[in-house]
Amino acid sequence: MSAPSLAPFINKRPWLQRWMKPLANWYCNTAGYRQLGLRADDLLPEENNVVQTALKRLPPQEAYNRVFRLRRAIQLSMTHQLLPKEEWTKQEEDTPYLTTIITDIESEMAEREDLEAMVITKRQKNANLGKSH
Amino acid sequence: MFSRSTACRGAQRAARLQAARQSQRRGLASPASGSFQYEAGEAKGVKFASRDFAGPTTTLALVAKAGTRFQPLPGLTEGLSNFAFRGTERRSTLRIVRESELLGAALTSYHSRENLVLEAKFLRDDLPYFVELLGEVASKTKYLPYVYSEEVLPLIDFAHKKFLSSVTDMATNSAHSLAFHRGLGTPTASASQTPYTKYLDAQTIEYYSKIAYAKPNFALVANGADHGDFSKWVNEFFDDVPAQPIEQSSVGAEQTKYVGGEERIAHDGGNAMVIAFPGSSSFTGKFYKPEIAVLGSLLGGQSAVKWSPGFTILGNAATPGVKVKTTSAIYSDAGLLYTTITGSATGVRDTAKAAVEAIKKIAAGEISSEQISKAKAAAKFKELEHGQDVRAGLELTGNGLIHNTQAYQIDEVAKKIDGVSEEAVKSAAKQLLENRASVSAVGDLFVLPFAEEIGLKV
Repeated sequence: MSAPSLAPFINKRPWLQRWMKPLANWYCNTAGYRQLGLRADDLLPEENNVVQTALKRLPPQEAYNRVFRLRRAIQLSMTHQLLPKEEWTKQEEDTPYLTTIITDIESEMAEREDLEAMVITKRQKNANLGKSH
Repeated sequence: MFSRSTACRGAQRAARLQAARQSQRRGLASPASGSFQYEAGEAKGVKFASRDFAGPTTTLALVAKAGTRFQPLPGLTEGLSNFAFRGTERRSTLRIVRESELLGAALTSYHSRENLVLEAKFLRDDLPYFVELLGEVASKTKYLPYVYSEEVLPLIDFAHKKFLSSVTDMATNSAHSLAFHRGLGTPTASASQTPYTKYLDAQTIEYYSKIAYAKPNFALVANGADHGDFSKWVNEFFDDVPAQPIEQSSVGAEQTKYVGGEERIAHDGGNAMVIAFPGSSSFTGKFYKPEIAVLGSLLGGQSAVKWSPGFTILGNAATPGVKVKTTSAIYSDAGLLYTTITGSATGVRDTAKAAVEAIKKIAAGEISSEQISKAKAAAKFKELEHGQDVRAGLELTGNGLIHNTQAYQIDEVAKKIDGVSEEAVKSAAKQLLENRASVSAVGDLFVLPFAEEIGLKV
């Protein structure tokens, strides 16, 4: 689900991060989803197994809030309105609540793939035992 | 047809071998036998016991004092048991499964009234891996809400459904709760959905795990491991387990009291009746009465020999087609001697009557000494066989370690049974009738008798 991103590269270099941060904030505010009361993770495409599983794992309150935000945003979009300014999503509220679960699931899947593709070798001791017989 | 000479030669050879082996062979219950003896020890506050049983495999168990008797909220034991071997901070569920499969091991977890047992069976060489795994399960399991709802909850629900559909389980659990009320009387599976809809969630289970898997509350028992190696690995891998329980739970800690009574439950899935009397505690406990075990095998019900009803009194008295079984259930500080009768409603009714009459007969002394000696032999055999059955030995030993820091020594139990006198059995039977019985009838209540009708005091 993840697209190639420069974020890790930038985050590793504090000077670069300090320089990019205002730019990033400006971009997020201009993107327009915060004005509809959404969070960045609400915009992730959910039509795939990984995100579907992640959605199932959300705690009930989180899942409810997410649906509420989505419905409110659709309503606003249909009526061509924005939320009043005090209800816009604030920067500190815009947390990656779903991404953390998605990375967990992706690493689980990767682990499964790895285990499936594993090549098994005998332990040295047992292998030697086999030869002597 | 065998020619005579061949048969003779075989017999001669067998006799010769027998004579040659005689000197090396040890009687199972003889004092010289060390095979059943567990060697106990302690490493950084973790109690453990092991015996070096010759053979290529090892059975390792973590026995925690977290059976249904000790659970502060209903269902916690089951929750904890089903969370065992799920993902930990270092390994995922899948990795644990795959790795132990590669090593050819078997992992199980189960619980009884007093204990929660996490068990691993594996090849001898892999001891360090599995000691580490048990240490990890005890201290680092991640109790995640979605694992609870996706994997643990369905299993608890299945156990609940299975419990409801089995008349024998219902009758046995009902007899226990009549006899002991709370504590030992708590049913081993959820009798209704309330426990897991109302009390249970991942957080509560995690909190309880910090009580159940605290150093004073569990013991490690290994069967078929070298004591030195075992103590080394236990020393190494159990550092992260809490030294003291997060909260001193007093649930189930008080001395069990026997109450008794009668319960009747309507059920259309069969008929079962359990007639229970106060019994003997485990050998490691304070109220050990070996005559109860002898009385149990004298009443019996199940034949040890094919094509014969056996010598047991109930085996002979039972209506054909009815299954009878007498069990002497032993717990750390109390016990229950109970007869389970299952079958058709009328058969169960008649057999229940016969069972009470049999006990009265024993109490009156109308029993031959031959039968008592048969019962003693059977009880001794059962005990020793039980000792060879690795699983039972592990749990009993762990239980003994947690409660009295004493391992369950089968040899001594067998000796105690040998020393039971005829009078002791008769007076034990008399005492049963003087006490209140616990009688539970599940099934067709129109036919199944009340306790009073079969001559019992409740």
